[in-house]
Amino acid sequence: MAIEIKSKIEDVRWPSGVRLPIMLTFEHQAGEGAPLFAGERPNYMVGGAMQYGARRGIWNILELLDQYRVKATFFVLGTTAEKYPETVQAAAKAGHEIAGMGYGFASVRTASEEQERSIVRRAAKVLQDIADVKIRGWRCPDYRVSPKTLDILAEEGLVWDSSLLNDDLPYLFDTGSRKIVEIPFTTSTADKTYVGYPYPQRGGPDGLSSVWNNELDVLYRESEKAPRLLSLSLQTWATGRPASLRVLGQLLDRLVGHEEFRFAQCSDVAGWRLNSAAP
Amino acid sequence: MWNEKGYKRSFRWPQGVRLPIAVSVHHQSEEATCPMPDGQPDPFDYSERQYGARRGAWRLLDIMAKHGVRGTWLICGATLEKYPEVSRAVQQAGHCIAGHTYAHEMMCNMPPHSEIALIKKTVAVFEDLLGEHIHGWRTCFASHNTLDLLLEHSDIEWDGSMWNDDLPSLIEGHGREILEIPFATYSDTALGVDITNPAFPPSRFSTWNANPPDFMLRGLKSAFDALYERGAERAVMMPLVVHDFITGRPFRSKVLDEFLTYAKQFDGVVFTGHDELARWSRETGEFGKE
Repeated sequence: MAIEIKSKIEDVRWPSGVRLPIMLTFEHQAGEGAPLFAGERPNYMVGGAMQYGARRGIWNILELLDQYRVKATFFVLGTTAEKYPETVQAAAKAGHEIAGMGYGFASVRTASEEQERSIVRRAAKVLQDIADVKIRGWRCPDYRVSPKTLDILAEEGLVWDSSLLNDDLPYLFDTGSRKIVEIPFTTSTADKTYVGYPYPQRGGPDGLSSVWNNELDVLYRESEKAPRLLSLSLQTWATGRPASLRVLGQLLDRLVGHEEFRFAQCSDVAGWRLNSAAP
Repeated sequence: MWNEKGYKRSFRWPQGVRLPIAVSVHHQSEEATCPMPDGQPDPFDYSERQYGARRGAWRLLDIMAKHGVRGTWLICGATLEKYPEVSRAVQQAGHCIAGHTYAHEMMCNMPPHSEIALIKKTVAVFEDLLGEHIHGWRTCFASHNTLDLLLEHSDIEWDGSMWNDDLPSLIEGHGREILEIPFATYSDTALGVDITNPAFPPSRFSTWNANPPDFMLRGLKSAFDALYERGAERAVMMPLVVHDFITGRPFRSKVLDEFLTYAKQFDGVVFTGHDELARWSRETGEFGKE
């Protein structure tokens, strides 16, 4: 079982000139994560709200990111890539990082090692076949790791994982054979927490704006003295809607064009962490 | 059994204290992690909450230091064992330190012998790791036995487990007394995050169904304004509850930062810990029938 390599904040070094890296991580599914009604009956209400991301949301997002020339990371569910291949191909072609998020939203929490490994392999193969990418990182679709997740990812050649939510900064796990970088995120600043139907609407777009602006204010101030990372978890089905898309645009207005902010993909951050001070 | 002496309308804080604010930090990190349907801890909820000890508590300590605010840290025994360096820094900073159960147990589900064993175990952890004999206690999910057990089997001087009053009351029984210092809705769980539901608190996604920070700040300020106004005529207090894994997040920490900046401007606002509230209550408070 992977063991965390204890480290200090000072062990994290960003490239010179970078004060605060900005990591936008989009999770791309087409309703596979929506719970079905009893008896496996379809749920077009919740499922449809999420399918929006694959039908429309991701295109809105790709257009916005292109306008601002910002590169992000897209976690793509294997089944979504199969059903909407053109969305993943477009994201990859635009230079965004494509990472794995499982297949069909199957949870690995209680899966056997064989089952979990086959999910990782199948998701990686689908993305390779459809978008011609070799994934380097992973996020469990329901954010629920198994005790073996990090070991399996490392053994399958992945460099980083982003399924944990317990820190401000990336850190390392020793899996025996090799190290893997953990890049934590949080649902507390995630779009869906505030604007994402079918979850409760808490504050709407204005509320989401206050979340992101506060997060940036605090991390920017703290980054004067110690390394920090602004990492946002976004759903193509939530931020892809016009109202929240506008909030993201307003955040980008604050960030784009300032040298001290550096838009980073997860693999950039993982590489910087690996190149940082010992261990 | 115990008897309660409620506060009288003549209850007053010491001269010059118009509104005492006790910033009460629940340092519990992942201890209240929700179970999955199979009874195993939810790894997602665990990880989201573990932020509390890894990062959130440090941020809250920094903000309190920046404002020169002394408060109360309610610490789970298990959290102290796993992350002793946080509690040592809290102790060094001079905050009031109190016990917050061992692993955030729901004492309402416990038989008395289990509850008293957990109280004693927790008190011992503070003595072993901090060399500190704690005088305060809070369990968020009290049992019918909690106050009796504290009176009979501990020398705890104040308890903060009840949610049912504006000001402290005196609890007498088993040959001694405890001050009950209640808490209220001035909290990040009431204003920020949906942490409980009637079916089974705490709820799954408890760190997820959240109000935005502008809403939290508005709620805190309007509560403060009402209390400050009332404080001109009679005793009031504001036991403000924040959690390491909730308000310790950067965007919510700014709410606490801004609220402290706001509240500090007013004459007679005093930031303090529960130990001092208990002492003042004994010195200047009045209890009993009107």
